[in-house]
Amino acid sequence: MTAAVEARGVERRYGSLVALADLTFEAEAGEILGVLGPNGAGKTSAIRVLTTILAPTQGTFAVGGVPHTRPAEIRRRIGVLPESAGYPERQTGEEFLRYHARLYGRGRAEAAAVAVSLLDEVGLAERGRSLVSTYSRGMRQRLGIARALVNEPQVVFLDEPTLGLDPAGQRQILRTVRRIAEERGATILLSTHLLAEVEETCSRVLILNRGRVAAHGTVAEVAAKAAAPRTGRLAVPPGQADAALRALAAVAVVEASADGRPGLIAVRLTSGDSMNDAVRAVLDAGVTLLSSELEGARLSDAFLAMTEAA
Amino acid sequence: MLVVLGQELRDLWLGGRGLVLTFAFSLLLSVIAYLVATNHALNFLEHRETVNLLLQVAIAVGSLLALLTAADTVSGERERGTLESLLLTPVSRLALAAGKLLGSLSLWAVALVVTVPYLWFLGRGVGLVGDALVTGVVVGTLLAVFLASLGFLISVFARSNRVSLSLSLLLLLTLFVPTQLPSAAQQGWAGDLLLRLNPITAGEHYVGKVVTSAHPWSEDLSWLVSPFVCAGVFAALALLAGARFVRLGGGAAA
Repeated sequence: MTAAVEARGVERRYGSLVALADLTFEAEAGEILGVLGPNGAGKTSAIRVLTTILAPTQGTFAVGGVPHTRPAEIRRRIGVLPESAGYPERQTGEEFLRYHARLYGRGRAEAAAVAVSLLDEVGLAERGRSLVSTYSRGMRQRLGIARALVNEPQVVFLDEPTLGLDPAGQRQILRTVRRIAEERGATILLSTHLLAEVEETCSRVLILNRGRVAAHGTVAEVAAKAAAPRTGRLAVPPGQADAALRALAAVAVVEASADGRPGLIAVRLTSGDSMNDAVRAVLDAGVTLLSSELEGARLSDAFLAMTEAA
Repeated sequence: MLVVLGQELRDLWLGGRGLVLTFAFSLLLSVIAYLVATNHALNFLEHRETVNLLLQVAIAVGSLLALLTAADTVSGERERGTLESLLLTPVSRLALAAGKLLGSLSLWAVALVVTVPYLWFLGRGVGLVGDALVTGVVVGTLLAVFLASLGFLISVFARSNRVSLSLSLLLLLTLFVPTQLPSAAQQGWAGDLLLRLNPITAGEHYVGKVVTSAHPWSEDLSWLVSPFVCAGVFAALALLAGARFVRLGGGAAA
């Protein structure tokens, strides 16, 4: 199956500044790919290159099977909500969508029907005839998402759609994003800072740091990759701590040491499954295990580990 | 291109900006018409000179309106964050540029229509209205195309809308400077060359020859070379810049 988005060694420079280097990844049809990275990591440059707004200085990419050398054709197949998108204050939401539908070659009547249908889809049906200047930030973002869908795109790029929204607004946008992927079968590239929501929403993630791909894979794969070596903590009765330490010393993949507090043992895990080995060794030694805690297993930890380490 | 042009016209005219500018333009023409008519009544001005003065003001201010509107097109969209959405559509950049340029020229077209009754009022009785109108259409359109294209070009490359508008106005004022030179400075081959090279002074000079001096329209055509060449060259440059250089950078950090 052809990947919905395929990038190979894409680079983008602004003079001597390398905003994007060796961007290589694939996004499958129908998946939601989270694009993560700290400020200045190259997320927006990556999206602007992949959406043909900027030309790559090196490398190749294809969207929906269309190579980057045919930008007009790519633009017909994608929908984009740009970062900090602006909206014409003097137009109504319906007029705005109608105009964009017309720019994609739809006739007047068809454009009007598309506008009404999309407003309904993003929950703005009742405000479609209000001026955009009266919309809240969340409503504008939903209008922007509706605009991105005006040409029934195969791939949708959403650049920070939740930026500046309150938690309820963020949740609403992410619900809309999930619905688009489910009901339309579109591939979505979602650039965001909301790591917890990415874990919930995205099937895979792409972490960028300083213009380079720091990680790419499922949330679990990325978390596992970034978190090795991870740390953990075992709690045993204080009287059995020595026995536990002796048992752990025999496990090659674990480095254990007393935590300083009675009964607590800090473990440094040198492979993905070594926490299981540590727990098994302690239990086999007849030590009562009160609790075990694994740190660095979440996406946020992986994100921080990858972006701070580089 | 027609869809873009339609939207530009709606934004300009239904959004109210075009109407406000046109109203201000008509107020200015009313004041000028009143002043030249009273001066004529007091025998300070010849009948033909009143028409010439009004027509020159109409051409200068009408094309200024086109320049100001064009100077806001790309830089304004960029600043308001609406440019990227337009660039993401499959409409070619050349069509976007042409639609926007024609939209800004609509201000000149409306200014010309507003000028007609004033011309008729001042020019009636001497059979001058037709000649003045045709001259105004030709010279005004050439200058409006030149100035709108210049404004559009600046708008494409300007980093902000404020820069675009300020630079456009500064250039316009510079182009008008020769009209304020003492007549001695406008004499001789150097003065003549300066007036002929500057499309604004050349155009206004041609209007004066036809309307005030009652020369046949074909007699001073050489004065239209500069307006004609500048309109053509700058329109081509504006479309080329629109097609090739309307662009965005990276994100905030880029």
